[in-house]
Amino acid sequence: MLWSRRELLGRLGGGVAGLAFADLLGQQPRNPLAPKAPTIPARAKAVISIFCYGGVSHIDTWDPKPDLVKWQGETMQGVGEVRTVMGNPGGLMPSPWTFRKHGQSGIAVSELFPHMAEHVDDIALIRSMYGVSPAHGPALFQMNTGTILAGSPSVGSWVTYGLGSENQNLPGFIVFTDHRGGPINGPPNWSNGYLPAAYQGTQIRDTGSPIVDLKPPADRTEDEQRRWLRMLHEMNEKYGDNHPLDTELSTRVYSYELAFRMQTHAPEAIDISRESDATKNLYGVGVEPTDYFGRQALMARRLVERGVRYVQIFSGGGNFEPSWDAHWDLKGNHGLHCAETDKPLAGLIKDLKSRGMFDETLIVWHGEFGRLPISERMDGRDHNNKGFSVWLAGGGVKGGTVVGATDHYGYAAAENPKSIYELHATIQHLMGIDYEKSTYRFNGRDMRLTDVHGRVIREILA
Amino acid sequence: MSPRKFGRRSIVSGVAVALVWGAAVALRAGAPQESALGQDPRSADQLAKDAYDIFKKSCIECHGPAKEGGLDLRTEEGLQKGGRNGKAVVAHKPMESLIYKAVMHDGDLWMPEDADKLPEASLRTIQLWIESGGSLATVPEAMGGAVVDLEDLRKRELRPITEEERNDWAYKAPVRHQVPTVSRAGWSSNPIDGFLLDAMTKKGLTPVGPADRRTLIRRVYLDVLGLPPTPAEVEAFVADRSADAWLRLVDRLLASPHYGERWARHWMDLVRYADSGGYEFDVDRPEMYRYRDYLINAFNTDKPYDLFVKEQLAGDEIAPESDEAMIATGFLRLGPEGGGNRLDAVDDLVSTTTLTFLGMTVGCARCHNHKFDPIPQMDYYRIQSIFYPTTAVEHALVPAHDVAAHRDATQKIETQLKPLRAKKTDIEQPYHQIIIDREIAKLPEYLQTAWHTPADKRTEGQRLNVRQIEDTLGLSSLRKLVREEHLIELMPGAVKAQHADVKAQIATLDRQKPRRLPTARAIGERGPEPQPVHFLHRGSPDAPGSAVTPGVLSVAHRGEWTFPAPPAGATSSWRRRGFAEWLVQKDNPLTARVMVNRLWQHHFGEGIVRTPSSFGKMGEAPSHPELLDWLAVEFVDRGWSMKAMHRLMLTSQAYQMASTDTSANYAIDPENRMFWRMPRVRLEAEVIRDHIMATSGTLNLTVGGPAMFPYIDPDLFEKSSNRNWDGLPDSDPATWRRSLYVFSKRSIRYPMFETFDQPNLINSIDRRNRTTIAPQALILMNNQMVLFQVGRFAERVRAEAGADPTQQVRHAVYLALGRPADALELQKGAEFIAGSSEGLTEFCHILFNLNEFLYRP
Repeated sequence: MLWSRRELLGRLGGGVAGLAFADLLGQQPRNPLAPKAPTIPARAKAVISIFCYGGVSHIDTWDPKPDLVKWQGETMQGVGEVRTVMGNPGGLMPSPWTFRKHGQSGIAVSELFPHMAEHVDDIALIRSMYGVSPAHGPALFQMNTGTILAGSPSVGSWVTYGLGSENQNLPGFIVFTDHRGGPINGPPNWSNGYLPAAYQGTQIRDTGSPIVDLKPPADRTEDEQRRWLRMLHEMNEKYGDNHPLDTELSTRVYSYELAFRMQTHAPEAIDISRESDATKNLYGVGVEPTDYFGRQALMARRLVERGVRYVQIFSGGGNFEPSWDAHWDLKGNHGLHCAETDKPLAGLIKDLKSRGMFDETLIVWHGEFGRLPISERMDGRDHNNKGFSVWLAGGGVKGGTVVGATDHYGYAAAENPKSIYELHATIQHLMGIDYEKSTYRFNGRDMRLTDVHGRVIREILA
Repeated sequence: MSPRKFGRRSIVSGVAVALVWGAAVALRAGAPQESALGQDPRSADQLAKDAYDIFKKSCIECHGPAKEGGLDLRTEEGLQKGGRNGKAVVAHKPMESLIYKAVMHDGDLWMPEDADKLPEASLRTIQLWIESGGSLATVPEAMGGAVVDLEDLRKRELRPITEEERNDWAYKAPVRHQVPTVSRAGWSSNPIDGFLLDAMTKKGLTPVGPADRRTLIRRVYLDVLGLPPTPAEVEAFVADRSADAWLRLVDRLLASPHYGERWARHWMDLVRYADSGGYEFDVDRPEMYRYRDYLINAFNTDKPYDLFVKEQLAGDEIAPESDEAMIATGFLRLGPEGGGNRLDAVDDLVSTTTLTFLGMTVGCARCHNHKFDPIPQMDYYRIQSIFYPTTAVEHALVPAHDVAAHRDATQKIETQLKPLRAKKTDIEQPYHQIIIDREIAKLPEYLQTAWHTPADKRTEGQRLNVRQIEDTLGLSSLRKLVREEHLIELMPGAVKAQHADVKAQIATLDRQKPRRLPTARAIGERGPEPQPVHFLHRGSPDAPGSAVTPGVLSVAHRGEWTFPAPPAGATSSWRRRGFAEWLVQKDNPLTARVMVNRLWQHHFGEGIVRTPSSFGKMGEAPSHPELLDWLAVEFVDRGWSMKAMHRLMLTSQAYQMASTDTSANYAIDPENRMFWRMPRVRLEAEVIRDHIMATSGTLNLTVGGPAMFPYIDPDLFEKSSNRNWDGLPDSDPATWRRSLYVFSKRSIRYPMFETFDQPNLINSIDRRNRTTIAPQALILMNNQMVLFQVGRFAERVRAEAGADPTQQVRHAVYLALGRPADALELQKGAEFIAGSSEGLTEFCHILFNLNEFLYRP
């Protein structure tokens, strides 16, 4: 608890009678974002989630399938019925990029990720993820909330619900979207679902006021604002005095203090002009095509440094070309999106390491699904939920690990398949949340992120 | 298994196929080794397994336990036996096998019925499997094991209800308990007070005294209408010392058209009302508002709750000729669209219906018997079978002959359009070909090779790639690699003119198409005898059990509920009508209790059962079971009149108590479960917005009509996909309407509503969260809409109270809080106003942020 009722009443001039009642009943103001102790040993304090919206082709990035060259133009055999989302499937299409082994672990990485390739020994790569739906909407929901159906709280909401946040002057769960657009489904992707509104993701914007409605009216000076707040508190006081036992009223009064402080803290937290040139260079800030994502990655580090619990960055937005959704021109599409994010991601890892934060920050990288080894529209790839790659790095993660494998086409998870529930259980576990016990009662059920499923992916734990 | 082993067979089958397909004779006969079976690396065993997987997925729902047409594809025995139409498979001869002809849509039988044709790969698998012998003998599941399993499973389908379970409070019919006699002055005339006071006395609690009149009128306005009283209304009530002043006020509010708006909004939370479909495309539903207006009207006209239930669930079966009843079935069209499959959509209907009307989480029994409540999984599927046959109907809100005339007019134009479109394609064709040839030359060699290989010589992969290339280079391809303007560029002048002329003719005709008829989103069925619905083990369509008949919640009903048979000429099964009739029949233990508890919940801040949609074990027990029973019985006895129940509750002494705390009571019952005082309740998102506009004097009180789009910061949505929100500026009076008229778009939420805990428009919500968070303060301090209204409020105060700061404070406080300002407020407020050039505006802004403004007293 950040502040006691005594302090609060002292600050805000609550009545003496109020104090007596409050002490009598042991009541505390409720701050839903107050930090809560992990229920199991925590390996990380914060999560940075990188969501490559549109779906990354694993075959062209983290999961080499050199035999596809041999089989180019042929159909897959023995894999059962191949369902494509856009219809009109083609034959097998080899990757236009080559792979090389890197690091001590010797993990093969595509030439699309030259900078991240230097960090293969820092990441745990899961090559056998699978999801339920090959359509963006449901798949985004599953990756963000566990279920393909809308209406459930997102991972970020569950994590802040479980742990609160370390910084009360900033939202506990922050979301960055791409300058070309947000992911489809929109804000329900970072919704608190049925959890209280305190746990919803807050979108940070790159222009104007970083948070909607953060800035006071342009013509109101800070002094005027203080005068305004003082008058508000004075007028609230009498009402509160009539209801001395009502902590909700004093919490609301206090929320204005918080909001006021957020006005100065939020802009500072994302102000990367305060970073050194060396740091900015790490992220590729100021250089195309890395500038935009690089800024976001750097802001994410600053936020995590300030105690924000969960930061999610969406790379890619809108439909088709501006996102990772390479239904055609795979080369152009993934060429661009990888170039935009490769250096900043490597920079983020380097920067976190140099600040001693890498071991307490969990980075999770994924799309909503992978892409098919066969062609679509001549030189693109359609959606593939049956097998794809994700990686994790940082707090509690065993670097240089590869878990599972897809079949020889890269079509379906074949060895040691991992469900999205398992990924979510692992994130919660690393954060010190017992994924089976963190529940919220709603419509007569004790809901949890992983429903009745899940299992921690122990292979990647350090 | 190597292809060689099947070499001979494949020659035979190749010939057989060729004979039927005629045109392919030369190829097939000349190159038998290229027979499909020879090329496919799958063994016969694998083919059998793959075929069986297809049957399980796409066929077994009907040709399984249900044995439609006498055919059972679960077992080798059933397969070989065939069905009423004869043998299903003829070994090695796909073209003579009924199964293959049916899935190929070759002949009279087209399978699967009411679903898309199977994908090409499946058709091929079935063909090859028949060529390889057409037997399931190598599939263990099909060899008896499955039958035994299913028998075993079927035994597990039933879960009897014990007598003890039936005796749980929620499942016993409510009885009219004796009203306790109490002696406190004023507390003996309304039965509610008798029950409450009796319970308080037993716990050593004393009800707090009555609220003052200003508190009362503000409370009842915000509660019943969701709007604040005007100063004149406050003063009139304060001055009215007649004995029935309160009663008359209550009746006046219940007769207000704004009562219906307020209570419709509560209902909209339960039914997860939205004006769009959600998910990827989040398609707008511009007609959905008619259902919202139906709700407003139903509350305003005091539609009996039993009829209200029946119309929403089965309006089409009760009064198909009534637009109102058809619009009511929009209840079944509110779910999100675009995620999950049909079973998920039906699950959403089952869950929402049972939560809303029964206060039970039947949705929990989809995969297994409910873990805590006596809800057998069988109940789920029997209830599911009530909703499974439903289908969307766009109900035209015009007479039938107008619908026919509209259809004829449309068809007439379509007939004229057809040859014009063909002509346009003919003109374009040669130029399209030029572009195609150019693009082909750019492709990788293996694709060019595929393209140039004669169609009959292409491998399967080449065939797919060629088809893909053709599609990609077509004019309608999503990729837009080849566009109409590219072709036009290549056309000589004369051709260009001819092309333009045809296009113009098409456009003219398109414009002549009649405008869409006004419709309502409604529900119907395909006929009186729906497809069978099956019990699904573990909720999986791959493990169907018995076919089920419609049923009700077995713990809440002894024996079988008799569903009515649809009369001759009925277009639906009447299952929903039967279910609705069960819900509102006198012995139903839940329906009336659940609804009176909801009414109570909104008046008193919390329900008698504090988990209003969970009357089961996962919910809370009622704090006053006898009162709840009494109210439920009274509700039914008063003809399910909601207004009668409102009146009863509002005229109780309990409702008129103050909301002050007393430490003695607090020590015994800190959560006020015994209702020893009235709670302060933070206003809902919509009420805050309405209150702001009412206070500033801008609120437009027009009732009903299409939803409107107030301004939303484009940064919050514009960049996402192809969805949009054309928000009107805050200064546009069209946006100054009550909040329930704001378009509810599932992927673009109105930020103020979301932040102040409006539900997520996806789940049925029985009780809103009431959070207190900093972003709420940010909105009330800095949001443009709020600031605009603050400006209007200040103008109003200046116009009505003049330039004197003390008068301004007096008037502003009166407008915002419905009470005179006290001496200290007058003094400090006047100082504040005088202290800055924008003092009045800032003071007005403070009033919108006060706790007193934001809470119902």
